Amino acid sequence: MSQPLEERLKVLIVDVLRLDDVTPADLADDEPLFGSKLQLDSIDALELVVRLEKDFGIKIGSSEESRQALASIATLAAYIRERAPAAAQPVRG
Amino acid sequence: MPTSDLIAEPVAIEACDCLTPLGDAAATCAALLAGRSALQPQPVQGAGGGDLVPLALCSPMAETVPPRWLPFVRQLAARLPDAGWGRPGRPVFVTSSNFGVGSLHAFVRDGDASHLPYGVPHRAVEFLTRELGWGPEVFVLSHACVSAHLGVLLATRHLHAGLADRALVFSFDFLSPFVTGGFHSLKILNAGFPAPYAVRETGSIGLGDGTAFAVLARTGGRARIAAQAVYNEMFHFTSNRPDGTGFADCIRPLVPLLAGRRPWIKGHGTGTLEAGRLEAAAFAQLLPGAPLVSWKGALGHTLGSCGLVELALALAARDAGRIPGTIGSTAPVFSPAVALASFAAADHDTALLASNAFGGAHAALLLDHG
Repeated sequence: MSQPLEERLKVLIVDVLRLDDVTPADLADDEPLFGSKLQLDSIDALELVVRLEKDFGIKIGSSEESRQALASIATLAAYIRERAPAAAQPVRG
Repeated sequence: MPTSDLIAEPVAIEACDCLTPLGDAAATCAALLAGRSALQPQPVQGAGGGDLVPLALCSPMAETVPPRWLPFVRQLAARLPDAGWGRPGRPVFVTSSNFGVGSLHAFVRDGDASHLPYGVPHRAVEFLTRELGWGPEVFVLSHACVSAHLGVLLATRHLHAGLADRALVFSFDFLSPFVTGGFHSLKILNAGFPAPYAVRETGSIGLGDGTAFAVLARTGGRARIAAQAVYNEMFHFTSNRPDGTGFADCIRPLVPLLAGRRPWIKGHGTGTLEAGRLEAAAFAQLLPGAPLVSWKGALGHTLGSCGLVELALALAARDAGRIPGTIGSTAPVFSPAVALASFAAADHDTALLASNAFGGAHAALLLDHG
């Protein structure tokens, strides 16, 4: 069974940010990651960016680019698919 | 809602100087007036490589033993008037945002204990105190990028409380891969060069080495700080209030003191878009027409030392008769008040010098030109 990129990102976010009261299934693809019920902040963004760059081999160029990419699970997945299509392939679970 | 603290007691500046990659305050000011920049594309991790980012360095960024900041701090300290610093009545206030954190990182990374004597603030300052022959009355102060402002404020309070007849504020911030790596991870230190207050798609900051001092007394001196203000938004530990009111609230108590005066403004102006826009709007609202400059497009952000480095440069500019403009920026800018070119000091009688910091901290002071 393969795991789509969006699902991988949800698991990664819950793991990296240690979201104790949130499960990957609670995250909708189009829900804003910042300014929403998740209450993420710029330190969370920093941790996410470092992990995403490491795991997917991408380079985010500026804070504005980071903000756009991290708008939601859907925008983040699109960003990764555009810049690292091989890394964005579904993985076998 | 928090309110800004106003410190209305004036304090005299007997001596003030700085050291940047462009030289002392006079040489740095002359370089800024000539439009020169100390920022160069450098690997973000120093010898460890990485992306090229704009850094203004006094020496190659490496974690040496002793730390690379020592010769530059010694060089600047040689310009201090001899006054028995650190002895009763002559306290020293040492400020920095990162002290020797690069040494601590080198120890953690390499396990080399020879870095440890410089790796935490109090040990770095104890080392500095021994090197410079100061007495024991040395205070260590750090509050991110308003650290130097708070050092000036605390020294002022000591003077007016009768606890000192002269006070030395000394600040140093030298970059390390730990610090540059942190800002690079935030993506505000990136491949672009800083253009403070410029309207563009991507914000960028530069970072720089800097050290500075000010000798303060109750009266006399070559210049006077008429008043100071400090403020914390208490909104969020990494973000400013989105409406920008924090920038205005800090300087609001200083505005009545500027009635009938002809001020110019040295803003914080690192090159980030959101803070630059909010800051420029606050100044335009409260002090319309006062020219606004930032020098971080040439020197980078000297972090906790920026308040003192830029105070020394403001005094040097006053002495030179011209105030450097906002190097690195071009139109369009966030406010018509942003001065891209230098202007005559004689057209003004006061400078408002402002700094902001991570965590919603703000600080400002009024520098009389007289």
